[in-house]
Amino acid sequence: MSTLTAERPTAELATRPKSPKRRRLRGESKLHPMVWVFVIAVMGFSLIPFYWLVNTSLKKGASLSQGELFPSQPTLENYLVVFQNPEFLLALRNSVIIAVVTTTVALVFASFAAYALARLKMRRKAMILTLILSVTTFPAIAIAAPMFSIWREIGLYDTLLGLIIPKLTFALPLAIYTLTSFFKEIPRELEESAYMDGATPFVAFRKVILPLAVPGLATTAILVFISVWNEFLLAVTLTTSPEARPVPVAIAFFSGTSEFEQPLGTISAASVIITIPLVILVLLCQKRIVSGMTAGAVKG
Amino acid sequence: MDLNRPALPLQNRAARNRKALAATAIATALLLSACGGGAAPQGAEQAAAADPASGANASGAVNICGVKDASGIYKGTAEAFTKANGKVTAKYTEIGATTDEARTQIVQRLEGKSTECDLFVTDVIWTSEFASQGWLLDQTKLVEANKDRLIPSTVETTKYQDKYWGSPFFTNAGLIYYQKDKVAKPESWQQLYAEAAKAPGNGYVYQGKQYEGLTVNFLEMLYSAGGEVLNEQGDVTVDSKETRDVLNFMSDGLKNGSADRAVLTYNEDPARLAYESGDFGYQRNWPHVYRLLNATPLASSFGVAPLPAWEGGKASGVLGGWNLAISAHSTNQAGAVAFIDFATTPDWQKHVAMDYSQAPVNEAAYSDPAVLQKMPFATELLASVKGAKPRPISPVYPQISQAIYKNVYAVLSGTASTEEAVQKMAEEITTAKASF
Amino acid sequence: MAIKTLLPGRSPSSATARPVSGRDRAERKLAFRMTAPSLVIMALVAAVPIGYAIWLSLNQYSVRTAGLSRFVGLENYINALASHEWWAAFGQTFLFAGISVSLELILGTAMALLLNLAFKGRAVLRTVVLLPYAIITVVSAITWQTMFQPNMGLVTNVLSTLGLPGGDVVWLGEHGYAMAVIVMADVWKTTPFAALIILAGLQVISAETYEAAELDGASKWQTFVNITLPLLRPAIVLAAIFRTMDALRVFDLPFVLTRGANGTESMSMLAYTQLRENRLVGEGSALSILTFLTVMVVSVIYVRFAGGNIRDVAKEEQ
Repeated sequence: MSTLTAERPTAELATRPKSPKRRRLRGESKLHPMVWVFVIAVMGFSLIPFYWLVNTSLKKGASLSQGELFPSQPTLENYLVVFQNPEFLLALRNSVIIAVVTTTVALVFASFAAYALARLKMRRKAMILTLILSVTTFPAIAIAAPMFSIWREIGLYDTLLGLIIPKLTFALPLAIYTLTSFFKEIPRELEESAYMDGATPFVAFRKVILPLAVPGLATTAILVFISVWNEFLLAVTLTTSPEARPVPVAIAFFSGTSEFEQPLGTISAASVIITIPLVILVLLCQKRIVSGMTAGAVKG
Repeated sequence: MDLNRPALPLQNRAARNRKALAATAIATALLLSACGGGAAPQGAEQAAAADPASGANASGAVNICGVKDASGIYKGTAEAFTKANGKVTAKYTEIGATTDEARTQIVQRLEGKSTECDLFVTDVIWTSEFASQGWLLDQTKLVEANKDRLIPSTVETTKYQDKYWGSPFFTNAGLIYYQKDKVAKPESWQQLYAEAAKAPGNGYVYQGKQYEGLTVNFLEMLYSAGGEVLNEQGDVTVDSKETRDVLNFMSDGLKNGSADRAVLTYNEDPARLAYESGDFGYQRNWPHVYRLLNATPLASSFGVAPLPAWEGGKASGVLGGWNLAISAHSTNQAGAVAFIDFATTPDWQKHVAMDYSQAPVNEAAYSDPAVLQKMPFATELLASVKGAKPRPISPVYPQISQAIYKNVYAVLSGTASTEEAVQKMAEEITTAKASF
Repeated sequence: MAIKTLLPGRSPSSATARPVSGRDRAERKLAFRMTAPSLVIMALVAAVPIGYAIWLSLNQYSVRTAGLSRFVGLENYINALASHEWWAAFGQTFLFAGISVSLELILGTAMALLLNLAFKGRAVLRTVVLLPYAIITVVSAITWQTMFQPNMGLVTNVLSTLGLPGGDVVWLGEHGYAMAVIVMADVWKTTPFAALIILAGLQVISAETYEAAELDGASKWQTFVNITLPLLRPAIVLAAIFRTMDALRVFDLPFVLTRGANGTESMSMLAYTQLRENRLVGEGSALSILTFLTVMVVSVIYVRFAGGNIRDVAKEEQ
């Protein structure tokens, strides 16, 4: 397919002289100083609250109330406590399973649906889009209670599958919308040429659209993964045992020595720890997000 | 806050009668009256009663459900009971990370007539709500049998319509922590506020965020000033001189520096952390703070006192703590009774204090030498517990509490005058009662 | 839902009378098969609870007697719409959503442009910028709460050390300031979401487009305004739809930070209070559905008037 990508006709720019260069190769040295200022501002805004979280995770006992900008007696004890908590490790496993399975299934289902919506002849697209949106817009608090009863009846309560199914449901709309929008961007001419080679629409989807939509797929994967990972209300409503609890619920179950004591240190440490899988995911995906898919054209 | 809910002449219409699962007497009664369209509301009046003698012959498994076990007391008690009993095995299931969540989870189970839990650990403010729905077993006989070993004020928290719907497990009452090197032991609220205003480092911190804790802080003062929210008959009596006095007093305290404005953002933990910074003279909080303060540089300089009296009045307070309620759908009621019997024995109540730093519901435990060693402030705590009263008893307590804390907050933050707030509070509580 | 009528209807140009060819039929069949898995799973999981919630909202339930109810039709809705609380929450929620989504889109676009530049260390920047999005909402709320805690928070400490205004303000205890903290916390956490979507949108703009503009002698700013921004529109609209939907349903942040005090009570909080705390199931469900309808109307307006690819798809009616 790569040959097809390189040779595809450009839509409205066909008359422009083509450049052999890709945009991302444009000079690394040409960054304006103001851009650097902005880079630093963005990093600061992102990192300062994160720093405060790390800072809190390194404090314990009385030093939590001192508000020091740099912990005077930093300790890794909170991290040890978290890692020695078998329920947290179990929750980490649960979350990884739930998020990976949900994201994978959501991407497969959503890319099918998105392709149909973006490309194929179909009746009532407006209605389908509205219905999809309404599923994700419906307030979770209003459906948590009935879902609890139904899940108990059919034996899905307090199981990983019982969490994957509703999370998939609420992740699908985001995935379908995002992918539909990205698929729309891909020039139709590419499929047309595939059709001329005798491809069926499904083959065109698999061989033309999917490879070109990799940045969109990677972006969608990250967005879906994180939204599934962070979801709390359904997770807390539909689980009761550590065997099924995902991380956000497990963290809520961290406790001090009394019902009134919020274990700030361990909560912060656990939150820092669970960013690591996300960081790995981003590092894995980031090449794909900015993969410079486009030597060619753009929909007008 | 209420959305003009009209008074309810409710007709028995649709009642979900999907599956009459466990055919306990109560469930059948509920269904019959719901389907039959009879006028009698099915609720507390027809609840089945727990038999105090049944505990002795109990066997099988008992599942106790409740909020996350921060101090370890629930799991610890279940283990100790299992070991001591020999025939019944008890286990504790954490079904909510916060008090609110636990309530939601319990309600969901009770509404679904679930037999999963035999016993619920219930916040003292849930009793009337749960009892009024016919969700709980009437424990009147059990409580009467155990009455001589329970502190009367704690038993009152389980009372609704002249019956008892739970047994107190452990209790809680507010205490004043104070810096002995800076301020005097509080004798009255007026003296405490005056002392707190004297120097910047003397300030008073309490729980002033817009939430349940503010209701508690306000009621503690209101009760000691002789005021009340509902009278014995359940009429709304909050529109009173006492309410106005207390509101003015609290709001003046914020203006003249007795209390830092930051209390408007504090619940229990931020209040404690603020006090631990050493910048304040007084703190109102629960007994758990004692142990935490001992691990800070303030360990040698703080004192503990019961809540003070209103000038010219009597010291009072508000009870916290947790009760044990038997589910009407429990399949092992005898086992549940056996567990309650064990948990409320004077001997185990000592462990409640010694091992888990919770306030016992048995008076003798407070003077036990071993307890006093772990809880040197036990005498002050007992005084607070004995003088404390329950929060307003009503199945719509959550709405009543919202009416209280939202309007108190409005006065404290300066968005409403005392007069407006008192009237609105009374109005909203009246509306809330009508929705019941 | 009657929302369908709000979406652009079939465009007059689409020739519906055209006889359906064999290829068309095959294509429709394929389209049906490809959307079916998603639609089926959504219908299976969501339909019953949503239908049930709608039914609840048409009834009034007794707090006292479990299961006792009476059918009240739209009364719960009428009462809610007649209440001061609903409109206060409505206004506050829109204020929050308006400010935070605007900031998120502006910052998100800027961030995306930055992430798209080629410079050393952009991998680091990309990871750093995404970190806030990976923090659980409740934890991020707690973090912002402690940062603004008087006397011992990061922000209050730094401000008062530097002698800047705001150091002695009880941020979460004052009107305006409390909203500002909630907005900042939301912008911090969710700008990466907008940035990611917009970044992906940037990827489909070709290098030639820019080079053509350069050849035409356009300045960087002109290129951005005249070329980049219009081409980014689908991505920005997409980010706007999802961010607005979430922002209009904001719950965790005000719930943890203020419990709705100081002009921060949101529509979702109101629904939560009635549904969960007060167990007025009928009233609470009606509030949830009003929230839902509000969000749907706003989303549909977005789709229709802001344009983007979703509108184009919705317009295709064959």
